[in-house]
Amino acid sequence: MTRFLRIWLAAGMACGVFASAGPSLAKPLDIVFVNPGKTGEVFWDMVAQTMQAAGRKLDAHVEVLTSERNYRTMQELGLGVVARHDKPDFLILSNEESAAVPILEAAEAAGVKTLLLSNTLIGEDAVRLGPPRQKLKTWLGDITTDLQTAGARMANALIRTARDEKWQSPDGKIHLLGIGGDEITPASIARNAGLKLAVDAAPDVVVDRLLFANWTQSEAEQVTTNYLGWASRKQIRPAGIWAGNDPMALGALRAVVAAGLAPGRDIQLVGLNWSEDALREIRAGRLLLTDGGHFLLGGWSIVLLRDYADGCDFAAASPHVEVKTSAITRQNLGSVGDLIKTRAFDRIDFARFRARAGRCGHYDFSLDALISSLPVPEGAAD
Amino acid sequence: MRKDEAMSDPESNEPATPPRLRPVVRAMIWATVPVLLLVQLLASAGVEASSFWSQIRQLDARMVRVAESRAELIAEPLWKMRYDQVTGVLNEIMHDETIAAAAVYDDTGAVIARVVARSESPSIAEVSRPIHYSNGNMAAVQAGRIAIAYSHAALYADAGSRLVLLLVVGLLATFATLIAMRISANIFIGRPLAVMMSAIQRSKQDGRAYPAEVTSSNEFGQLARAFNAMQYTTSGALDRLGHMAAHDPLTGLPNRRSLTERLAVASRDGGRPDALVAFCFIDLDDFKGINDTFGHEAGDEFLVQISQRLRTSVEAEDWVARLGGDEFVVIRPEVSNEASAHAFAQQVLAAISEPIRLHDKQVVPRASIGLAVRRADDPELSHLPTLADIALYHAKSKAPGTVAVLDEALQRDYRRRRDLELAIPAGFAEGQFEVWYQSQVDLESHEVVGLEALIRWRHPDHGVIGPAEFLPLIERSGNNARLTRYVLTDACWALQRLAAAGRPQIRIAINLPPSELADHSLAAELRATCARFDVPASLLELEITEGSLINNIASASATLHRLRRLGATIALDDFGTGYSSLAHLRRFPLDKVKIDKAFISEIPGSAEDKAIVGVIASLAGTLGLTLVAEGIERAEQATAMREMGVRFGQGYFYQRPQPLDAVLQWLERRPVAESRILADSPPIAPEFA
Repeated sequence: MTRFLRIWLAAGMACGVFASAGPSLAKPLDIVFVNPGKTGEVFWDMVAQTMQAAGRKLDAHVEVLTSERNYRTMQELGLGVVARHDKPDFLILSNEESAAVPILEAAEAAGVKTLLLSNTLIGEDAVRLGPPRQKLKTWLGDITTDLQTAGARMANALIRTARDEKWQSPDGKIHLLGIGGDEITPASIARNAGLKLAVDAAPDVVVDRLLFANWTQSEAEQVTTNYLGWASRKQIRPAGIWAGNDPMALGALRAVVAAGLAPGRDIQLVGLNWSEDALREIRAGRLLLTDGGHFLLGGWSIVLLRDYADGCDFAAASPHVEVKTSAITRQNLGSVGDLIKTRAFDRIDFARFRARAGRCGHYDFSLDALISSLPVPEGAAD
Repeated sequence: MRKDEAMSDPESNEPATPPRLRPVVRAMIWATVPVLLLVQLLASAGVEASSFWSQIRQLDARMVRVAESRAELIAEPLWKMRYDQVTGVLNEIMHDETIAAAAVYDDTGAVIARVVARSESPSIAEVSRPIHYSNGNMAAVQAGRIAIAYSHAALYADAGSRLVLLLVVGLLATFATLIAMRISANIFIGRPLAVMMSAIQRSKQDGRAYPAEVTSSNEFGQLARAFNAMQYTTSGALDRLGHMAAHDPLTGLPNRRSLTERLAVASRDGGRPDALVAFCFIDLDDFKGINDTFGHEAGDEFLVQISQRLRTSVEAEDWVARLGGDEFVVIRPEVSNEASAHAFAQQVLAAISEPIRLHDKQVVPRASIGLAVRRADDPELSHLPTLADIALYHAKSKAPGTVAVLDEALQRDYRRRRDLELAIPAGFAEGQFEVWYQSQVDLESHEVVGLEALIRWRHPDHGVIGPAEFLPLIERSGNNARLTRYVLTDACWALQRLAAAGRPQIRIAINLPPSELADHSLAAELRATCARFDVPASLLELEITEGSLINNIASASATLHRLRRLGATIALDDFGTGYSSLAHLRRFPLDKVKIDKAFISEIPGSAEDKAIVGVIASLAGTLGLTLVAEGIERAEQATAMREMGVRFGQGYFYQRPQPLDAVLQWLERRPVAESRILADSPPIAPEFA
């Protein structure tokens, strides 16, 4: 068995080397990622980890600089990188709070190529600077997640369950609570828009409130408690809680439990992020689902840049690369749960996701593709 | 006199009841300052009250604004159920101290947040506003409501402290006003008044005009100028009044009032201390006659001429005054001795005595001068008029038309006279006047037929004083009638006693002074007194002098007739010494004539006296008058009288005047020949018919 596995691995590696060497002459890449998140912040940690795992697969050295959720620090780090004597090949930024714009402009002046990840230019900045590679020649494009669809998918799951369980209030309607992260971040706005889209399409459903909890568990617990108290005074039977991310869903979960409700039986909750805690709650039947997988944007961005450096420009399709998310429910929990739990992203064969020759810019980053890219675990194989 | 009273009244009243001074400045302050204070306080209180209500309204409006602005801020966290933020926003308004409590309710009415101020205040007002929430996706909904309870207590406290401040400021302002009023009133009112008051006080002391030095151009300046002008007018009038008071309007000479001042000046300013002051008291003799003869206008002219003569006849330093009527005074302030003073008086008298033409008739003025001389430093200098008057009295009574110099004898006489005159009332009161009686004797039978009542004054210091000395004093002091009644009463009482002693036939003669003859009540008094003592009036004889008849012939005649009708007999006393008008003997109802003792004393030696008495006796016999010889002191006189046909005699030869008791004893010792006397008595009764 062990001998067989070793042979399979060696063959696979040889294939990979040949495959990567195939389209062009591979040149080592020097990539710097300015991480807007905090050390220990699950999502951004996982983005960086997938990025580094992909780098290892695709001959790219990925340097991660962490801004610790301080945008001033983020700008200092980015500008510092741009001013380096030994400039990197690519600089990956996330335009949270529009803080990446000065860095983009400095990089343009210094001739450093940039890619925006997860949060791209919005509003006035987008109008002023235009699309990628026009005013800012070195801004190659962006890679983002389709979070609106994610939001809608989450809402629809809640509505479906409530209808099935007949959790209508005395007014005959299904009452939901929405908990958003904030009201200005594009990633948040998109999720909230998804919720609205789904509810608008369901006349028997009403979102009593869309509350905002700054992405945190404790604030979500607080507002959920407030909501539940209000709802009970209003003779409303809450049917579901839609949370913009997993920590907020978990906070709401605690509030629900504290209010004496049984999550999963009296009320359903949904989250987003594929966090370990969420997966655990899904397994326990207290959380309906967690959507997400967009932390893989880190790995996908390296795939794009490898292709670009190797002459297969993703802009051939569009400089804006949008990646769909997927929901993890009790049904598909087993496939990716372990991956996430162990963060063994080196198990993912990122080279398989590179664009085929002649089809530059066309990628399949779906959950199914991911699952199929993973080697069959021993337990599963059994 | 009345004018004097009127003039002296205010002055005499002033010290008696000094009116309490109520300064006008203080009165003004009392009248204005309380009003000022009241108005100030009321105005302050009014302003403060309106400010207070406006602040209340502002606070209410502010609380509404606070509630509304908080509602806006709270709407989103409330809607989004960030109740901690709701509490935070609500907490912020608690910095406003007027807010006592605030609460936010959600749309179910549940309390979402409630904050309460530490200190609970009374007087709570409340404002409540709905909280509306809306965003781009949804229309406005009511998310809840906010209620704010707030207190007006701070405003009340502020208003109270401001009122206290206003009160203090008002009091200070009033106090400052008071001081300013006090100072300015003193400057503008008090000082001019004091200046004028001081001018008045000084003016009151010597009657001169003292201008009030007020230079301001305001009303007080005008008042002071008017006051000064008035003072000059008044002072001129006072000067004229003073001159009039001190001078005789007819002659322009100083008057009696000036005399006292002049003497004071002489005593004070007398040159050498051993210099003598000659004081001439001049009285014109018979000025009444000139008035009667030429009329009063001529009398005045006469006085004016006399005054001019006096003025021209003396030196410049001499002083001439008219004391009133016909009395003048000339003072020479410095004479070397009494002789030169006398010479000066003689010179003055000579000047007066020059003839004067009045109505084309020559009149020779006559005057008597009393001269008194005293050293200038004599403390009795002020008595000079009195002393000169004594000399003048002497001159007028002893030697009219001469100068009498005051000497020790004159002064002694004067003092005795004055003492006696002053003692008259005491003399009456203490019965010092005694009636003595001297008998009238029938020269033939030597029987006592009557008694003459003679008054004596038994003075405690001067002893028994004769009537010649004190009767003029009695007359001058107006006591004639009293003395006459006194004597009459005593005589009636004496008649009663004579009758009791068995001498009912003895009559009593009383001397009537001239003034009594003009008294119509005398007859009635006489009758009443006789009736009181139950004695017949026919036992009374009334002795009169010729002089009293002449002065008032008609009145005297009527009185005598009335007395005679009562039964009294009338005797003419001292016959032969006066006018001795024989016509009088016929015209008046006389019963008896008493021959003056001057004719008796030389008899029988003097052939002339014997002749005169003989003629009188012959005449009396013809007219049916009884004769009485007075002053018989020797037997040969009595004999001579009897031989010449004089029936009765009186004198020391028979009996000296004695008190009644002595007379009664004396009569006791004499034999009574009642029948013979009665038979030999002259028929008196028919004469009364």
